[in-house]
Amino acid sequence: MKKYIPVLLAASLFFTSCEDFLTVVPETQLSSATFFKNQKDFEQAVNAAYVPLRTIFNDRSWLLAEMHSDNTYYARNVLFGAVDNQEDLADFSVPVSNGTTANVHVLNQWRQDYLIIARTNQILALIDDVNFDAAAKANVKGQALFLRAFAYFELARYFGKVPLHLTPVASREEAALPLAEEAEVYAQIISDLTAAIPLLPDKSKQEPGRATEGSARTLLGNVYINLKRWADAEQVLTPVVTSGRYSLMSTYDMAFSKNTSNKNNAESVFEVQYLEGAAGLQGNFMYQFMPRPISAAELQPIMGTSNPQNIDGEGNNIPTPDIIAAYEPGDKRKDISIGYVTLSGSFRTNKVYPYIKKYQSNHSQHNNHGMNWPVYRYAEVLLFLAEASNEQGKTGAAVGFLNQIRTRAGLPATTATSQTALREAIFKERRVELAFENKRWFDIQRTDRIQEIIIPYGQRIVANPLDYYYPPLAGAVPRSNVFTNLSKFYAYPAAESDLSPYF
Amino acid sequence: MNNHYLSKIKARFLGFLFLMLSVSMVSYGQSQTVRGVVRSAPDNEPVPGALVLVKGTQKGSVTDIDGSFTIDANPGQILVISFVGYTSKEVPVVAGQTNINVNLDLSMSDLSEVVVVGYGSQIKKEVTGAIQTVNEAELKDLPVSSVAQKLQGRLAGVQINQTTGKPGQGMNVRIRGQLSVTGGSDPLYVVDGFPITGDINQINPDEISDISVLKDAASTSLYGSRAANGVVLITTKKGKAGQTNVNLNVWTGFQTVPDKGRLEMMNAEEFAQFKKEYYEDAGQAVPEVFQNPSQYRDKNNDWYDAMLQTAPITSYNLTVTSNKERVNTAIIAGVFDQKGVVVNTDYQRYSLRMNTDYQVSDKVNIGVNVAPNYVYDNTPRTDGTRGTGILFNALHTWPVMPIFDEQGELTFFNRFPSNTGNIFAYPNWVRSAQEIINETKQTNVLANTYAEWRPIPGLSIKSTFNAEIGNSRFFSFNPSTATSAINVAIPTVAVSVRDDIETFSWLNENIVTYRKSIQDHSFELLGGLSNQQFRSDRTRIQADTYADDRLPTIQGAINVNRGGTLSDVAEWSLTSIFSRLTYNYKGKYLLTASVRGDGSSRFGSQNRWGVFPSTSVGWVLSDEGFLQNNKTVSFAKIRASFGVTGNNNIGNYTQYALVNNTINAAFGNNVVSGAAVTSLDNPNLGWETTSQFDLGFDLGFLDDRIQFTYDFYTKNTTNLLFAVQIPQESGFTNFNDNIGEIKFWGHEFAINATPVTGSFTWSINANLSINRNEVISLADGIDRVYGSWHITQVGKPFGQFYGLQKLGNYANAEDLANSPKIPGRSTVGSIKLKDVNGDGVITFGGDNDDRTIIGNPFPDFIYGLVNNFRYKKFDASITASGSQGNEVYMRHLFSTANLDGVFNMVRRAKDRFRSPENPGEGIFGTTVGGGNVTGVERDWPNSNFVWDASYFTIRNITVGYTFTNLSKTVKSARLYFSGQNMWVFTPYWGGSNPEVSNQNNGQGDGGNLSPGVDLAPYPVPRSITFGANITF
Repeated sequence: MKKYIPVLLAASLFFTSCEDFLTVVPETQLSSATFFKNQKDFEQAVNAAYVPLRTIFNDRSWLLAEMHSDNTYYARNVLFGAVDNQEDLADFSVPVSNGTTANVHVLNQWRQDYLIIARTNQILALIDDVNFDAAAKANVKGQALFLRAFAYFELARYFGKVPLHLTPVASREEAALPLAEEAEVYAQIISDLTAAIPLLPDKSKQEPGRATEGSARTLLGNVYINLKRWADAEQVLTPVVTSGRYSLMSTYDMAFSKNTSNKNNAESVFEVQYLEGAAGLQGNFMYQFMPRPISAAELQPIMGTSNPQNIDGEGNNIPTPDIIAAYEPGDKRKDISIGYVTLSGSFRTNKVYPYIKKYQSNHSQHNNHGMNWPVYRYAEVLLFLAEASNEQGKTGAAVGFLNQIRTRAGLPATTATSQTALREAIFKERRVELAFENKRWFDIQRTDRIQEIIIPYGQRIVANPLDYYYPPLAGAVPRSNVFTNLSKFYAYPAAESDLSPYF
Repeated sequence: MNNHYLSKIKARFLGFLFLMLSVSMVSYGQSQTVRGVVRSAPDNEPVPGALVLVKGTQKGSVTDIDGSFTIDANPGQILVISFVGYTSKEVPVVAGQTNINVNLDLSMSDLSEVVVVGYGSQIKKEVTGAIQTVNEAELKDLPVSSVAQKLQGRLAGVQINQTTGKPGQGMNVRIRGQLSVTGGSDPLYVVDGFPITGDINQINPDEISDISVLKDAASTSLYGSRAANGVVLITTKKGKAGQTNVNLNVWTGFQTVPDKGRLEMMNAEEFAQFKKEYYEDAGQAVPEVFQNPSQYRDKNNDWYDAMLQTAPITSYNLTVTSNKERVNTAIIAGVFDQKGVVVNTDYQRYSLRMNTDYQVSDKVNIGVNVAPNYVYDNTPRTDGTRGTGILFNALHTWPVMPIFDEQGELTFFNRFPSNTGNIFAYPNWVRSAQEIINETKQTNVLANTYAEWRPIPGLSIKSTFNAEIGNSRFFSFNPSTATSAINVAIPTVAVSVRDDIETFSWLNENIVTYRKSIQDHSFELLGGLSNQQFRSDRTRIQADTYADDRLPTIQGAINVNRGGTLSDVAEWSLTSIFSRLTYNYKGKYLLTASVRGDGSSRFGSQNRWGVFPSTSVGWVLSDEGFLQNNKTVSFAKIRASFGVTGNNNIGNYTQYALVNNTINAAFGNNVVSGAAVTSLDNPNLGWETTSQFDLGFDLGFLDDRIQFTYDFYTKNTTNLLFAVQIPQESGFTNFNDNIGEIKFWGHEFAINATPVTGSFTWSINANLSINRNEVISLADGIDRVYGSWHITQVGKPFGQFYGLQKLGNYANAEDLANSPKIPGRSTVGSIKLKDVNGDGVITFGGDNDDRTIIGNPFPDFIYGLVNNFRYKKFDASITASGSQGNEVYMRHLFSTANLDGVFNMVRRAKDRFRSPENPGEGIFGTTVGGGNVTGVERDWPNSNFVWDASYFTIRNITVGYTFTNLSKTVKSARLYFSGQNMWVFTPYWGGSNPEVSNQNNGQGDGGNLSPGVDLAPYPVPRSITFGANITF
């Protein structure tokens, strides 16, 4: 028997500490227990906080803030159904029940913004407890604050009162929060951005494409303008101009990033970064903006790809006759911004459709391009300053800022002199300079001109559907409920409301 | 917590110390030597292998081949002589008497049989839990590859369905209807004491000698956090005492899919006729190819039949057992070779098992079991939904499309002009089956070793080591000339996938058992410590675009597809401490109590240990005076048990907040890696808990010629693992929590009877079970979970079919005008649905939803029937099983009854609605109006998809004849015929297998919440085999 004792002894060696034995952490995945330990972890974390922006600007913003205005509409294709979600936004008929809507784009905008918020909260909650290079830490923290403010500013403009999450959710109970008052949300946005400005590097010192001090100032300027805090806006924006880091590109078309060559250029204050190729970081918004059905042959000259394919479905974000007419004669921006394509498959008598051309840049593979989305351009900083100056009665300064924009567009100096006339001139200039950059709805919203602008726009569509790209077919007319929901804010997403006790 | 851990460690250490110390103990006794011969009373033949025990001790001996034994006993002690099938006899030892001969009487009763229970064995009479056993003899001859198939029809309370006919796959075993929302529901399989982590179906069933199915909590709770789904104990073969046996069992035969029962599809002429009528009814021009349907009369292409073949099936098993002197050895070598009934299916298993027990001394035994096996499996991608499963694809391919070209070669690709409604192009599915490689090679080694020491009578100290090694190598190659998807042009992109998984699991158990009888009180006390660990390493590589289909190497591919690569490690560990007390008074008042504590790596750090207690009591009424001399009632026992068990199939890392580090971003033209927390941790996450109460009785009549067992059970599963949806303002989609409750209850009836004995013997084993469940609660604020065709709703049974209720078709314009309808879609002859909410409009989904429960995939009851006959040297058996009241969602109808004529159709669609005068049989509606009209019937889940799938299946018929005394070398030889899945009686018309349940169909549904869906999977074949079983 004794010879078996060593075997049994060996057996007992298996029994090390119980706790060790029962603690099995995933080997092929990181867990929150093992992450957030060093500079690289936080840098990766802030990189991931930018990621939802790709989805937001490729798939949602233009639906919620551009097509939901008088700038663009859809081009009805009667062969395709299941387009209600887009059409409802374009023709102001988003269904609302008990303060909520099932509109999928509203839902996804909400979710993506809160994804940014959750990811930045995670960083902000933990970063002060980990020691690493102070400059690198300030940069990460500044970016996180900028992104959190960016997301809350989007939410505040889309929804008004929203839940204000400022710390990471750690349990099921913390998942839902009550709606915070708009003022509280704005106070947080301002506080985050005020904190971010000194933390963020100047554009010359920051990796291109990341948030900079200038980005944070511009965003805060936009927030102040939204709140009609004109002096604050002027004060925070002026250093962007005086820093010397930004300038207007010599021509309007060079303001946009192109597929690879012109990204984050001198005019760029903040843009959402896309990358052509197989890494999964590409955009395809140009394709979403195409009227349909479009054949490969019709698409190829626009995209320049080696493998063009037919696209079916319904085209969205098609420039309206209204925006086309809004360009003054001689405005160089018009032909840069809007192109035309003839669709052989269209049911319309005139098969020529306008499309958004300003982002156009040749790329190699169908449905996969690398153009960045301009969120803030220096041109807008100048227009913000023009507006902030004018509203404070500094008409002369305002005219100066405005004319910088007009000059590049090949237009004469503004003829407006009074504060009121200049206000209107700036409003119109914003419309064409920033056309298709998802600014129009917010401009109409913040100037309280929804009724004034959208109602007549709706009447024009209902009266002349053929002008708004409806085909001359029986039944192919605007639906009966168009232009019935002109509310300032979108209703809360129903799928989220179902899970929250607070709205 | 720390103290808690410390105490565990201490307990374990003390256990070991005890084990070590005991090694040095010795005990002494005084005795005289007794010799004798045991014979069978009816024929006076010696009984080898009979057990001779000194009553009240562990001292025993076994008779040799001549029936003789030798044993040391003290005068006054009593020898107990027992053998299976005979009534035990007690003989007192008288001083000076050295020779005792015993004649044993044949017994009708199996109550003295020893039943394998968790961590030990019990005499059947004294069992207080709900346990059912099946032995080797009952499992023999069935021409199937897996043990689960062999059990079909034999067990009360256990539903065993073969959901697909893929060799080696598809056995769905549910004990007492146990289900979970997200956790696994398969029982725990324990092979020779080792809870295995691999697939039970890979084990050669010929290696098995006994199976015990533990059903109630009292029987299973010693397996703690893994026991809630029930436990199946498998004991492999050992040598019979005193004997050496060499046995060769060979059977061979063929498998077919009978024509009867297949889904009846239109032939070419019928399909052309349908298409012709389709265009005529719509007032459209008939495409030229369909203008003359009779041209296809002799040109039918039965694509489904072309996928099938008559396939050979062969099994060889050589078993050598020897139990002589101190060594008990069993060697089982098996080769199983099955071609499948779908072309290019190949399944082979090579298995070896070597079981050895060595009695080192009177007090010490050691043993080693080693069982390596290798399984090769190549099965075409038969199962799946439209577009992914080639059988489904074949089923609905137009029969006017040629399988063979004019030269008799398989066509490559078929497409009709677009004006014929052929919107999908089809590759040749037979080519897909033949050319696409889809193979898995698995090597498994299962090993058990133990050392047992019995220092004093009644005390056993046993330590075991067990290991299981698995290596699975999956390889698939889709050459450029074939595809398993519709609408893919040939040549296509060649794709290879390699997926290798290596698993290793070890278990150490240390068990002390002490048995003691004091006068009429018998005790057994068991204590044990156990540790098990599991690890799997997986590597997957996907590569595509091959220069040459003949070289599907990784380096031969132009792209290695990054999205298809994966490396993954999965691990868990489990530490347990357990104890059981068994007590009886005079063998008639029975009590068992047990408890197990499980610490698992899967449980959250704040909830690491689960405690699983149970207790059971029994009363053998027939030992009481008032029944003792009853001539009719020979045995009566009442049992009751209550206990708590767990289900730890909750995933390995579910408790952790995981970080995804592939959330990459671009800055400028650079890619940078990004990382984010993508799930919430739950340090309180734990097992699913099932509390079960069981009440049963066992009755024997007429000297136990008729035995009847009844059990009632009720159990509640709480703490269901649930991914509770949370508002995404949190940044997360869900939170894994233990929440929700399901109640299960049921009745089980089993009868064993021997109506006729003598030279002709007939015995019956019949069982019937009723299993029910009801969802008591789900997560807070959530009272239902939807699948595409299912709903799981509080207050209702699990996984009910959900959709619109069909009332018929709109008979005429008047009916249409006076009935609720779907605006813009309902027409005369289209499907008429029930306006459940009474708002006058038929609505699918949304606020005004008219959906309701439209069917139940669970049966009212299931039953099994086994008949055994013996006449002289002939033997025969018939095994049948059935299920009553279960329904199947005939999901494939969304294609096979697509009224737009896009696919080939079920023959029944000939009898569809054509006009108010010609309304058809009422099942299928009008084709007129196109997708806007027909899409309702097709795309909105409704009761037209739900059909009764009750069945009664003759599982097996076996007839054999045994030759004895053939020669000196051949002791006996039995020749037999065995037919498996002989006949299926069912009203189900959607395919040959009413047991179908495609639980993972790749359409967002899957798992336990969506049972009973038919997507035309691999058919279950009928097998006809002949065999010879020769004993040397």
